[in-house]
Amino acid sequence: MLDWFSSTPGRLYVVGTLLPLAAFALLLTAGGLRALCRPFRKQGGFAAKVYWTLGGDTPGRGGAYLATASMAAAAVLGAIGLVLVLGDHTTGAERTARWGERADWLRIGSLDSAAPPVWEKQRETDPTRPAPGPALALEVGYKIDQLTAVVFAMVTFIGTLIFVFSLGYMKDETKETVADHEVDNQRQPTPPAPLPEGKGETDTHDAHDAHHHGTPLPSGRGDGGVGSGYSRRGRFGRFFLYLSLFCFSMLNLVIADNLFQVFVSWELVGVCSFFLIGFFYERPSAARAANKAFIVNRVGDAGFLVGIFVAWTYLGTLNFEEMNRRVRGPDPAAPGLVRVTPAGDGALPLGDARADGTHLVLRPASATKPATGTVPVPAKPVCTDHGALPYWLFVVMGVGIFLGCVGKSAQVPLQTWLPDAMEGPTPVSALIHAATMVAAGVYLVGRCHPLFAPEVLLVIAYIGAVTLFISATIALVQTDIKRVLAYSTCSQLGFMMLALGIGGWVAGLLHLITHAFFKALLFLCSGSVIHGCHHEQDLRKMGGLRAKMPITAFAMLIGVLAISGAPLLSGWYSKDMILSAALAYVSVHPEHWLLFALPALTAAMTAYYMFRLWFLAFTGRPRDVHLHDHAHESPAVMWLPLVVLVVFSVGVAWGWPLWEAHASQLGHVLEKAEPASVSAAFAAERAKEHHVHTAAGLVALVAAVAGAGLAFAVFYRKQPTPEALYARGPAWHSFLLNKWYFDEAYDAAVVKPTVALARAAAAADKRPGGATEPDGKRLDLRTLDGLLNALGQCAAALGGFLRGAQTGRVRAYVAALALTAVVMLWMLAIK
Amino acid sequence: MTELGLTPFLLLAAFLFACGVACVTVKRNAIGVLMGVELILNAANVNLVAFARFNSGFRLDGQVFALMVVVLAAAEAAVALAIVLNFYNNHATVDVDEANELKG
Repeated sequence: MLDWFSSTPGRLYVVGTLLPLAAFALLLTAGGLRALCRPFRKQGGFAAKVYWTLGGDTPGRGGAYLATASMAAAAVLGAIGLVLVLGDHTTGAERTARWGERADWLRIGSLDSAAPPVWEKQRETDPTRPAPGPALALEVGYKIDQLTAVVFAMVTFIGTLIFVFSLGYMKDETKETVADHEVDNQRQPTPPAPLPEGKGETDTHDAHDAHHHGTPLPSGRGDGGVGSGYSRRGRFGRFFLYLSLFCFSMLNLVIADNLFQVFVSWELVGVCSFFLIGFFYERPSAARAANKAFIVNRVGDAGFLVGIFVAWTYLGTLNFEEMNRRVRGPDPAAPGLVRVTPAGDGALPLGDARADGTHLVLRPASATKPATGTVPVPAKPVCTDHGALPYWLFVVMGVGIFLGCVGKSAQVPLQTWLPDAMEGPTPVSALIHAATMVAAGVYLVGRCHPLFAPEVLLVIAYIGAVTLFISATIALVQTDIKRVLAYSTCSQLGFMMLALGIGGWVAGLLHLITHAFFKALLFLCSGSVIHGCHHEQDLRKMGGLRAKMPITAFAMLIGVLAISGAPLLSGWYSKDMILSAALAYVSVHPEHWLLFALPALTAAMTAYYMFRLWFLAFTGRPRDVHLHDHAHESPAVMWLPLVVLVVFSVGVAWGWPLWEAHASQLGHVLEKAEPASVSAAFAAERAKEHHVHTAAGLVALVAAVAGAGLAFAVFYRKQPTPEALYARGPAWHSFLLNKWYFDEAYDAAVVKPTVALARAAAAADKRPGGATEPDGKRLDLRTLDGLLNALGQCAAALGGFLRGAQTGRVRAYVAALALTAVVMLWMLAIK
Repeated sequence: MTELGLTPFLLLAAFLFACGVACVTVKRNAIGVLMGVELILNAANVNLVAFARFNSGFRLDGQVFALMVVVLAAAEAAVALAIVLNFYNNHATVDVDEANELKG
């Protein structure tokens, strides 16, 4: 057993990935069996025994403990793996063999894995030809490098803490009946509950549908209706079932070594987020938010698929390393893209790497020596051959892959789903926002970085910059504690994307890790606040909670400091690196000055809105006395994860010397995984970075202090009155409060036309007077139904007419026969 | 006696056939219809015999066929008359238009 691991330590990660899947499978089997046996629960016999063994009517906790334990085991494996990866000094092929394996899953093309005979013949005459690679096949495989190891450890560790936290937070779900008042509130026609979407026309339908399509374990009480109070069975086990699947998907995505496997996990992550955001699916708003998250992500995934198709068609492989080697070339000294214009005789003139051209040179995936001079372009390039890829398609590929990341990581213009995802239970928000879903997009951009053309990287940088600014401005005015955090997540993801786009590969991914820790901390703190305040999320009703929940207040303060970029906390290191990368980039390319101005401004806004949140919730006089009186600190199972996360939020990025942002130990680890192409493509910026990085650090610090100071002045020194908090501000205030009207714009631009089209189609489909008119009486050629019915009506009329000929009188038949014979004979005669 | 040739025989057969068909078509009386059928059969007989006589390729084939038809016609008439008799017993009429119990 140990042998099996020590020869290929990467298998630790496979086991770690499969553990949550095993928990998921067990929970699913148990839940399914119980649901199947439920009808027999009162009849006795084997089925009833199974039903009562598996928990009976009360939602069982065993499954939750099992899922948490398997996640914890995965975290232990992740930690061991991280130590092993960092301590492994092998290089080259040996390292590849130790930390990665791949196998064909679906072979497309030649079934024989041996080289085709044509190849052998060619190699006889020309031994310099590269050895043939495998046939085109969809593969499964894993490849562990420092980035994977770090992200894997982060996901499993934070995941475990969130699982533990959920054991306390979701306690309500262990009851036999859970009354969900939210459902009643949202269903009552008056007064209209403040739905997050403001699209109130279809709520009840959503809820009914969701309920009826439900699940194997219905409450048995139907849809309570207005007044009677909605209640259902607790769904403790199911929550952990989804969480386990979610974690498995994310881990599989992280260890995958090819784009296809990433895509599969990508979709799994998407569907799990759908399940979890819609966990309270009886609430119309939750059902809608789940749909929205899923559909908005589909838009991005369409782009992702296009990217995959281009890569599959032109690069002939989806393996990350091979793809990188095809576009970047084998020479580590010059890992740039080579653009050429193919010569007329089907050859590629290789030469100056900086030359312009319409095509991109593709190199054989397995070649080790760089080609020089000209190389022939085969008519149908495979991945073992030289080839050429039209440059615009290369750009399309990059933009397509990035579009997938835009959807998953909630960048403008697909950011609208993330705040609505707050409808899910708070631990889910923490998981989505910190460890899993949104991290997937940034991680993939980091993974595919060598596949992005300079144009694509610029797009990434600008999308990131715009996102971080827009989201931060929205977060300034939100009053829902979770929504502030949601927009801050969008904003921080924008920072990461910006960093990746301008060559700050390490900075962006370091921010991904540090942000995961402090954002998980912030979300779990807000969960603790919400739990302690009996599911009140409105900041305007809180205040003065510090005395009631000191641990949460302290933990949240650390989180706020970390995200604002207070020196020596983890957020400071990554944000400092991002800003200095941005400043370096801008000083090389002054025309892109926005790429530094926006993040610097946003750093100040970040500090402002985070401190605003903390002051509003924890300091000052209680604004809702009733709420304050009943508030309480959360149980230990909930605050213990907070304390652990505090430690990590402070120290995860530390290095020596402490006051040097670039000395961050985690940053150095990530640096080892950085693709060679990054430093080659951004060499000028790198050289500049050392000069500007003090200035950038100062700017970041001043911005953070200014933002925090402003928040201190507005929300602490001068206690805002409740009226002031509820007051409608000037135009810009409601503009921000309405999230820049993105939802309304999409509603008008996409949703409304779609609905209108659907209505038109329905109108064209149905007969207008269909209900009143008896069928088959009138021809109606204006609608589809009418047209189709008209066809039927014609056939029926023809039948009715021909029916007259069948009289049953033999004499008439004989007469017809004779007449026919006469006519035919006559025709023969006159021929 | 001058040789008549084939044509008059065929004309006679055609005339008989036409009469038979007309009879079957027009008559409502079952016996009349039967008689029409006999006329048709015999028109065919005339044809058979005439072709056998004027076509040197045949020897007695036509005559044998004709005899066969006569026998069949007799059998057919027997069966048909039995049906008609039965029908008359049940319905007190031989009008074929009245025989419509099986009409759908």
